[in-house]
Amino acid sequence: MRGVLAALVAVLAVLLAGCSASAGQDKIRITVATFGEFGYEPLFAEYEKAHPGVEVVGRVSDFDSHHKGLITALAAGKGAADVVAVEEQYMPALRQSRDKLVDLGTFGARDLQRQWSPWKWAQGVDGDSVLGLGTDMGGLAMCYRKDLIARAGLPTDRDALAALWPTWQDYAKVADRFSAAVPNARFTDSSGTVYTAMINQSEENYFAKADDKFIGDTNPAVSAAFRLAGSLGAKHETANLTTFTQEWNVGISQGAFATMTCPAWMLAQIKQAGGQGGSGVWDVTTVPGKAGNWGGSFLVVPAQGAHTKEAYDVARWLTAPEQQKRLFEKDNILSSEPGVYHDPDVLKQTDPYFANAPIGKIFAASSDAVRPNHRGVRDADVRPVFGHALGRIEDGKQSVDQAWAQAVDEAHAVLR
Amino acid sequence: MNAVGRSGRLGSRIAPYLLIAPFFVVFGAFGVFPLLYTAWVSVHRWHLIAGGGAFTGLGHYRDLLVDPLFYNALSNTVSIFLLATVPQLVLALGIATLLQRRGAGWQVLVLVPNVVPVVAVALVFGQLFGRDYGIVNFLLGRIGVAPVSWQSDTWAAHLGVATMVMWRWTGYTALLYLAAMRAVPRELHEAAALDGAGGRQRFRAVTLPGIRPTLLFTVVASALGGVQLFTEPQLFDGTGLAGSGGSDRQFQTVAMYLYEVGFGRFDAGYAAALTWVLFLLCAVFAVVATALVRRVVRR
Repeated sequence: MRGVLAALVAVLAVLLAGCSASAGQDKIRITVATFGEFGYEPLFAEYEKAHPGVEVVGRVSDFDSHHKGLITALAAGKGAADVVAVEEQYMPALRQSRDKLVDLGTFGARDLQRQWSPWKWAQGVDGDSVLGLGTDMGGLAMCYRKDLIARAGLPTDRDALAALWPTWQDYAKVADRFSAAVPNARFTDSSGTVYTAMINQSEENYFAKADDKFIGDTNPAVSAAFRLAGSLGAKHETANLTTFTQEWNVGISQGAFATMTCPAWMLAQIKQAGGQGGSGVWDVTTVPGKAGNWGGSFLVVPAQGAHTKEAYDVARWLTAPEQQKRLFEKDNILSSEPGVYHDPDVLKQTDPYFANAPIGKIFAASSDAVRPNHRGVRDADVRPVFGHALGRIEDGKQSVDQAWAQAVDEAHAVLR
Repeated sequence: MNAVGRSGRLGSRIAPYLLIAPFFVVFGAFGVFPLLYTAWVSVHRWHLIAGGGAFTGLGHYRDLLVDPLFYNALSNTVSIFLLATVPQLVLALGIATLLQRRGAGWQVLVLVPNVVPVVAVALVFGQLFGRDYGIVNFLLGRIGVAPVSWQSDTWAAHLGVATMVMWRWTGYTALLYLAAMRAVPRELHEAAALDGAGGRQRFRAVTLPGIRPTLLFTVVASALGGVQLFTEPQLFDGTGLAGSGGSDRQFQTVAMYLYEVGFGRFDAGYAAALTWVLFLLCAVFAVVATALVRRVVRR
């Protein structure tokens, strides 16, 4: 009898040991889906070293496919990564279906609130629930080509040039001066970039902050921006290039235009398009209107994931100030956390490609003065309508008034 | 013995059904079910992520019938279809005639454009038709033609997209014609030649009627492809994948509009209604095309 018992115990012990051993080998796998360049890869390895039970796998695709893929996965109820990056323009749409995302507040995300700029934090929450943790942002600056600016007889010094355009109206006047002096290059890349920067500087654009009603047709901030950006296009002072297209890349490297509104993440785009030959040609200065934000993302945790707590831990770690600081130093990815962009090391940062411009200081100054910018739930439906209208002006198909009238009509139709 | 015989009889009765079952299962799952489900979605307010809402009856269809953007997309689709298909079929006929006297190597060659992935074709053509740095405009400039804004001008954009479709399908269609031409009895040609018919006359009176079924098939197939045209115009738009087809929707096809509504605006209900209308359009297009070919090429 004793022998049998002992044998049983021995068998049980072996079984238990086997169980725990195999549990140790079965790591929890957390996938992190991002688009473009988030610079996360080296961080994943580090996280795995600190958390032996977790394996972090990155999944990178382009902007459109990434977000469309997320929407489809949420609709289907499966297929989403455990942690997904969402660009700010898609956040309102996700707010509509917040039950598909984990309320990060349940894991204690509310305690982290003070890490972020208040406007960034607000973009990621909906009512009581915390949908996303902020990653980067797109503090606004103005990039310019010194060679073209010099040919127009304008000052190439950062501060002197910025002094010419305290407002966008002044910027448009500089555009006229430039165009009179330089016939074979344009002042800016497109009406769209000017327009986007302008409406992002105002607190409300297409939808009212109070009740989310469509006010794009009556809001003076929108119509003023549209008219100013549209008139640049109508006067052929833009190169009529759509951002991120192949032609736009070539335009950058060929010097087709002299200035471009430059969110922090645009620096990497210019470097890529401009190549080695563009080093030292471009410079960065203050944007008209002094400050603003364009773009930036959040990390969300889809509720369909199997390990939402572990996913949250990864998201929290990636957005923690220590990691955010390193992302800026290495890849110019500008954090939305004041503790990071006010860090002395970050403020000191200059970029040799952009004629040693003090990018740390420029973007920190721009980011400090950002006013929260209300985005309606249906913002992404209306936004392209106005963008296309500016395109029609640049193509010479419509006058500013015609394009505006059609855009307002289409916006109403879309919101029907 | 008796039992075996009975089960054998049962088996021989069931076996045929079992043998054809895979087709019907697959057809049911991927053909009938989506069709019915789409119909169900189309009579509801339906957000792509959030799911179904209130019953709307035929509301979406009513909206669609007065939607100017739908008619814009429809006229673009028809225009691109005509620009792509008419020259394509004529060219294919010509190529097939030439191929009759050439070796198999040539046949492989004309099929090459068809096996290149459509995305690659679209990206290459998108660059060829670039406004500022495209090679087409560069060549046009050499002969003194002002640069054409291929994406923003309506007709130029239609022509650009149609060129892509032609590039992809002309060789394929030519091979179909070639196969059909080879099946036309030699005696007919010889008899016609004896009667004094020239090459052109023989082509009209013997070859064309002889390949009539194939003509019908290619016209119907390209009509169906034309109504559903999506990838080429979608990627011709260098500005993104929103599916708007240019700043003035100048080359937005019906399928692109469907994509914009369903996956851009997440309005699955309206998109589903569009899908059904697209389905009916396919049927109408096919019938019209068939009737047209029957009229043009008499038996």
